[in-house]
Amino acid sequence: MARLITLFALLIALPAGAQTGGNDGDWLAERPKAGEPKNFDLPEIDTVELDNGLEITFIPFGLAPKATISARIRTGNVNEGENTWLADIAAELMSEGAGERTGEEIAIAAAEMGGDLEVGVDPHVTAFDMAVLSGHAPDAIALMGDVIQRPALPEDDMERVKANFIRNLSVALSQPRGQAASAFLGALYGDHPYGRVFPTEAQLRSYEIDDVRAYYEQNFGAERTHIYIAGRFDRDAAEAAIRESFGDWREGPAPLVAPPDPRMGPEVILVPRASAPQSTIYLGLPVFGPENEDAIPLEVTNALLGGSFSSRITQNIREDKGYTYSPTSQILYNYQDGYWRFRADVTTDVTGAALGEVFKEIERLGAEAPPKDEAERTRNYMAGIFVLKNASPWGLIDQIAFTDFHDLPGDWLEDYVPRVLDVSAEDMRQTAAQRLQLDNMILVVVGDLDAIKPQLESLPRLSGATFDIRDETGAPVENEQDAQ
Amino acid sequence: MTRVSIRFFAAIAAFSLLAACGPDDSGREDAQDPPETAAPADSAESGIRIDVSYQTLDNGLRVVMVPDSTIPTVTVGVYYGIGFRIEPRDRTGFAHLFEHLMFQGSRHAEKGEFDKLINGSGGVNNGSTRFDFTNYFEVVPSSALEPVLWIEADRMAFPDITQEKLANQQGVVANEVKVNVLNQPYGGFPWLDMPQYANENWYNAHNFYGALDDLEAATLEDARDFHDRYYAPNNAVLVIAGDFDPAKATRWVEKYFGPIPQGDAITLPDISEPRQEEEKTAAKTDPLAPRPALAFAYHMPERGTDEYYAMALLDQILIQGEDSRLYQALVKDKGYASGVEGGINLLGNMFNYDGPMLWTAAMIHGEEFTPEEIMTTVDGVVEGLRAEPVTEAELARARTKLLSEFYGVVDSPTRFGLVDLLASFALFDDDPARINRIEGGFDNVTPALMLETAEEYLRPGNRTVLRIEPGAAQDQQ
Repeated sequence: MARLITLFALLIALPAGAQTGGNDGDWLAERPKAGEPKNFDLPEIDTVELDNGLEITFIPFGLAPKATISARIRTGNVNEGENTWLADIAAELMSEGAGERTGEEIAIAAAEMGGDLEVGVDPHVTAFDMAVLSGHAPDAIALMGDVIQRPALPEDDMERVKANFIRNLSVALSQPRGQAASAFLGALYGDHPYGRVFPTEAQLRSYEIDDVRAYYEQNFGAERTHIYIAGRFDRDAAEAAIRESFGDWREGPAPLVAPPDPRMGPEVILVPRASAPQSTIYLGLPVFGPENEDAIPLEVTNALLGGSFSSRITQNIREDKGYTYSPTSQILYNYQDGYWRFRADVTTDVTGAALGEVFKEIERLGAEAPPKDEAERTRNYMAGIFVLKNASPWGLIDQIAFTDFHDLPGDWLEDYVPRVLDVSAEDMRQTAAQRLQLDNMILVVVGDLDAIKPQLESLPRLSGATFDIRDETGAPVENEQDAQ
Repeated sequence: MTRVSIRFFAAIAAFSLLAACGPDDSGREDAQDPPETAAPADSAESGIRIDVSYQTLDNGLRVVMVPDSTIPTVTVGVYYGIGFRIEPRDRTGFAHLFEHLMFQGSRHAEKGEFDKLINGSGGVNNGSTRFDFTNYFEVVPSSALEPVLWIEADRMAFPDITQEKLANQQGVVANEVKVNVLNQPYGGFPWLDMPQYANENWYNAHNFYGALDDLEAATLEDARDFHDRYYAPNNAVLVIAGDFDPAKATRWVEKYFGPIPQGDAITLPDISEPRQEEEKTAAKTDPLAPRPALAFAYHMPERGTDEYYAMALLDQILIQGEDSRLYQALVKDKGYASGVEGGINLLGNMFNYDGPMLWTAAMIHGEEFTPEEIMTTVDGVVEGLRAEPVTEAELARARTKLLSEFYGVVDSPTRFGLVDLLASFALFDDDPARINRIEGGFDNVTPALMLETAEEYLRPGNRTVLRIEPGAAQDQQ
């Protein structure tokens, strides 16, 4: 018996010895491996269309007893013509009173349902969003029905709302990324609304309530509207509420398609920002929309190059050199159009060095296929992120609305991950070589020009380039010393 | 009707027949069904019940597990009881700089391996430094839980920090401060500025992001001392939430974290704030700002008291949403600004801190309005809450907004909000199951208690007003 006890004690003592841990770290020496991941099954999604052309998509997915409702109308900055931000002003005014309710009553009604009626405008879509406690879904739909179909567009609020936009404009123009985005998109898209990021203050002042009302009348209607409802809700009650609120609405016009004619580089634009401690870099070029067969290969290539924390550019200029905090590259889509864009804010005295590294990484990827393990990690990352993007009520609405907006095939969501996993290391090289040619890129740098111009001039890639110097409104600067 | 399924990896196609028969597959088929615990729609009492298990290892590591297989991912959070509030006095910004160093490799995973492991398995990760904790979190496909626990344990026990890595991250953090503060109009307003003006105790009133020269002065020895003192298992909470097997996860936690030696007990400094008696005002010139800005802040009631819950409801009534009194008065009626924003703990929420805290409101306003005029309107709103009890209807609306917001936090594919609440309740209250009693604290709040709370905590004497003036002049008090 005694021996047995000793043996037991010894057996216990062994792991206990490891338990003391200490400095050897032996218990961590062997790295465990991940297992096989599981699939994520999407919920049953269905869409119905009313006689007037309005579409409704039901997405029963969510943990919490909430209903997330997004009414997306195909009108935005492409519909405002030269009246930049008129679409934004109209959207803002729409919740300042509608049907029988004042703006304050709308806000209170939304809050009593556990929601906030939020409105967002992008170049193509005006979206009204609300997430309410589940049982309130029909009331929320009725409230949105008022705001979308019967806005008062009150003249009394016009001056106040204009003053807000004028103030917001001045703030946006004082931010380095606002300055860079304005110059970059202006160069890329010229006079197309995609290129007119900011109005002038005088333009904003000139808008009158009749301009807003005319814009509303010309652009809002059932044909352009798609309501998405996700979460946990009573589907039949929600459909009945939408039919009742929106069933009699006018059809209105079909969506406007306004294809841009984007410009390629090479082009270098510098925007003076006196004594700036950092330079804000935008570098990019036109590509294509998500319907293009090269879109998914480019998305994967981008993740490896600059679009993830593990990407080459981030590892190089942040994790190796400490030049910057949050470099990133991405593909931004318009309708049947899109652009690839790298962005970083780098310390002023290493602006040239940082940009040189970015050029080098882009060229290197076009010249040599990445190692297989790096390519595989990138594919896995894109697959995993795709699941995370989809696995919530808002995420599913965004993804499904994205496929609807771009007229993507019905199996696009289902096929996305297999298509990502099909992108080989050599595909990535070819995609970079064909689609990300430095000679075609537009470069914008916002910063302290005295300090950065000599750095840029000494980069071989920019030797002989013309530096176009513009202020934050895009106007050419004759004498840069004055601008500083 | 369409029914689609997103596959994580190509490999799954080859193994899918096999997997369909496997024991781990049971949760998959009905993954789209609502969880059984979910309640009927609408009722404020319905709630969400979260299945929390809680244990403490021998070395003091607190471990919280919440299984839920709705989405085939798992979220891991490691929270250390070290926030920027108590970082060393001559090393402002050090807690945050050290957070960066924890991503620089550890004994068994060299620099870069951490992100390769997480991104390469299809996940994302990050960390953050806040008043009373520093956290590290990742969300990965369920099948990658074991390596994630392993690598978190490796960096808890053996972060590998060298002079080269320190210098690299000093550069990165300096760039972070520049991009978020120094090269931005309204940079640091009001989240970084206001605590420095409103608080008296250095621990609450220093520059948490760090003066650039303090950041540059940091040494390897500072990093080692800091790690030894604050990054021991007995000063940490590990949360695992999502799609995992609790029995297996427990084994892995014991295997990888169990042997890490316990550290010395930590004595916290006195972080208390005196009762503020007189209103304070401050002005700061921002050469990059095109328009003036204004913020005002009140010291909060102590966390967990009845008044604290009352203040959370006052927060809803004052500033949350366009139905709020300040929005209606300042934005709609007077048109001072396009919005007014704020609340409790601008770097988090009402639950994830443990010490003195501010309730803050801020706006960028038109230059045609003086701060005095704006504050007169603010006083009209605030004094209303100090003079007359709120109606039951307004109180009910405030509760509904809070509840809906809480549901929104829980219903996220990353589960980061859920993990944050669980970790905070474990770290500060030793009671993560408190998440199921969140509504309880608000039940005791009556209009009378809100009136009392407003009388004491929304006093002008408990307030600091900070103006931002556009232009290039010197800072002035």
